[in-house]
Amino acid sequence: MRSVTFGSVSESRDGTGRPTDGSLVRAAQGGDADAFGVLVERSRRDFGRYAVAMLGDADAAADAMQEAFIRAWDALEDCRDPDRFRSWFFRILANQCRTALRRRHPAIAVDDVEVAAPDRADAAAERSELAARIDAALSTLTPEQCEAFVMKHVEGRSYDEMVALLGVSDDALKMRVYRARDALRGLLGDAR
Amino acid sequence: MSRHGFTPDEQRYLDGGPHGDVSGAGRAAADALVRAAEAYRDSIPDVGARLDAAVLGAVRARPRRARRPWRWAVDGRVRPLWIPLAAAAAAAVVWLGVPRVPAPSSSPVAAVRVADTVFVQFRLAAPAARTAAVAGSFNGWDPESVPMVRDADGAWVVTLPLPLGEHRYQFVVDGTVWRPDPTAPAQVDDGYGGTNSVIVVGPKGLVRT
Repeated sequence: MRSVTFGSVSESRDGTGRPTDGSLVRAAQGGDADAFGVLVERSRRDFGRYAVAMLGDADAAADAMQEAFIRAWDALEDCRDPDRFRSWFFRILANQCRTALRRRHPAIAVDDVEVAAPDRADAAAERSELAARIDAALSTLTPEQCEAFVMKHVEGRSYDEMVALLGVSDDALKMRVYRARDALRGLLGDAR
Repeated sequence: MSRHGFTPDEQRYLDGGPHGDVSGAGRAAADALVRAAEAYRDSIPDVGARLDAAVLGAVRARPRRARRPWRWAVDGRVRPLWIPLAAAAAAAVVWLGVPRVPAPSSSPVAAVRVADTVFVQFRLAAPAARTAAVAGSFNGWDPESVPMVRDADGAWVVTLPLPLGEHRYQFVVDGTVWRPDPTAPAQVDDGYGGTNSVIVVGPKGLVRT
């Protein structure tokens, strides 16, 4: 890791030459909006899928992320460990998504999801149907179960990473994932 | 349609464990759930890079807030013990006499004004808790940045200097359990199936409606 000058703030770069989150946060805390913009891009790529899955709608997810980013900017001096910006921001985003959940479109019954007609029953149509059924089923879970399932099986995160992001114990997270799987198995039926 | 859940072996298989003890039907159901999740992941649209520009435009129009003068009070470098001591010292000078609210379980009990900052003490009776904290609109709903400490009576307390205005909050017990303050002057839906407590800090202390 080496240090370079970034605006008026000393900056560190990681092994790939990218500014570290910590150096960008420190620059942003000094008022550097461009540094914050880099954090926005990274966080959008990292957590955009989470927001869409939680809210079931890309537009709602974009609104929630924008609000979360603005809250983060306003509260940036409260980010006491800039090197852990990712976890700090995720908690703001997660709270924003929870606030927006009530506005999520009413869930439709999983069984009401349109099933592909026999002449469209190719692999793509089957995957599309599976995706629609999961989307409908997720909205029937508790927010905590939905969040845990999405992070584990949709985003593919490890339990260790989930613990770091959510601040919840490993055992509690596994219980949420297990209960979500049980509920989804009941809703989706067995092997297709 | 199956209405039963996965067995412990099937759960471990879904966590990446071996499939040796998993029945054929259980393994098929587990594999089907994974395939469905993968199909769903592939169907999720990108939030879009346009968001970045929109956020940058918004933050550039918002000047960075000046560093709050009371940051020392919630900075982790300051021992929690100093927080009530500092507030008590301030109270000796400009105590406003906000009446103490009976607190069978919890309550923000007092407010003391210093300049445009009002010190508000939060109190929570949770004898079985291992940790307690306050999270709210004043700290970005961070469940860790404002830990509470036990006072001589065994209650969890923390005193925060808050700017004038409305503040929403909840207590966080043992790091995971969020609970509102039942004795707060107002409660609002948190949009997550729970309740946020609301206090309004005015120039003369807590505003009680």
